[in-house]
Amino acid sequence: MAQGSSGRKPTGPRNKGSSGGNSSKAVASKPTASKPKGGKQQSISRKSVAQARTSNTNNRTQLIIGAVAIVVIAAIIIIGIVMNQKATAVQNAGYGASTKSVATEAGGVVTVSNPTAAGASPKVIDLYEDALCPVCAGFEEQFGQQINQAVDEGKLTVDVHMLTFLDPRSFSQTYSTRAAAALLCVAQEDGSQAGTYLGFHSALFASGTQPTEGGTSDLSDQQLADLATSKGASDAAAQCITSGQNVAAATAADKSSTATLSAATGGQVGTPTVVQNGKPVDIQPPDWLTTLLAQR
Amino acid sequence: MAVTQAGSRRVLAWDVVGLVARLGLAAVWLLSGFDKASDPRETIVAVRSYELLPESLVSTVAATLPYLEISLGVLLVLGFATRLAAALSAVLLLVFIGGVISAAARGLSIDCGCFGGGGPVRPGESTTYTLEILRDVGFLALAGYLIWRPDTPLSVDRFVRLRAESAAGTTEEETVD
Repeated sequence: MAQGSSGRKPTGPRNKGSSGGNSSKAVASKPTASKPKGGKQQSISRKSVAQARTSNTNNRTQLIIGAVAIVVIAAIIIIGIVMNQKATAVQNAGYGASTKSVATEAGGVVTVSNPTAAGASPKVIDLYEDALCPVCAGFEEQFGQQINQAVDEGKLTVDVHMLTFLDPRSFSQTYSTRAAAALLCVAQEDGSQAGTYLGFHSALFASGTQPTEGGTSDLSDQQLADLATSKGASDAAAQCITSGQNVAAATAADKSSTATLSAATGGQVGTPTVVQNGKPVDIQPPDWLTTLLAQR
Repeated sequence: MAVTQAGSRRVLAWDVVGLVARLGLAAVWLLSGFDKASDPRETIVAVRSYELLPESLVSTVAATLPYLEISLGVLLVLGFATRLAAALSAVLLLVFIGGVISAAARGLSIDCGCFGGGGPVRPGESTTYTLEILRDVGFLALAGYLIWRPDTPLSVDRFVRLRAESAAGTTEEETVD
């Protein structure tokens, strides 16, 4: 208040003109009268201006940091999605079903190959799967066509081991074993018929066909037989499936294959697993099979 | 003098707590993120097994989640935008806790897939929902602490703040002079 009135005084005379010594006196008197109070206030306001400036800068810095952080998150996610797409890309998409492979069964293990291919000295892999295993379905989706092609071209021989440890997770408690038995039936009855075994094998893992773990239904023997028939299996194979003829063989095969798998991995039994020359193959890289086929 | 020492000791203690919380949460995200990223097929199965998402979203979420976790881990390791990273961590952890609770409530028998793996539990194993929830709540506590006190030692955030303060200090002196 005091400062306000003393401040107004000088402005009046100044506006009127340069005549008054009076006005200069008033101006001169102002600092002396209000020095302590005004000085204090000024320093306070300066300080708060500086503080305000700091907190403004802080706010701006925080905004910039937050924005950069969001950009970092977005960039990592985008890079990740691209990497993920590469890692899960379907290999040899468009090749489709195997047309030249034949299957032979021995001791519950089904060997799939094309012995008639020219100049064939195929690489041999052991493939361990459980018919109920969802990761196996993902594996089949991603690599099935590449395997089909490699087998058809005589570059690859696959020894298929169907495990059954997921039986208790199936609706019927026996699905893995019954599906493994059905595969044995098709290999025994129609193994020499090109592409039939692999066709039925792929069909079992197709999405929409493979039952879910802990689900409320799975495929009956009759449904398994119908599926096999739709993939070109004979009546004899269908008969074999519906009669449950190979269930004991599938159980025995599970036991022996679990033992060989366990020996190869050092105790771990999981599906899908690919074993070559008694050693597990890392199937995470999308080009694992390409690499394996290129080996000398 | 004694007061100042006690005060600085207390500040030091908070600093240690903050650093441990930040690096601890960062380790959680990096470990779980890299585990999930290293096995995309299994991560898809793990996400699907919660039966919470429509099939069309499962693969997108499974592809995104590991890298969201990794990015949060990276920000926390650097101490960059700690409060934001901690807040996002808390949101994500709440989603996870909700997912596990819902799986337990619906009687699903799955592994949480928290650190990769996941999907239905193997025969002979049992579900460990309570343990999983408790663990996530523990992680949530770390995130909560960092939201409350995001300023931790050895962080970009603190470095930036100290620099801004010393810069502000210089300008203030200049103004006064």
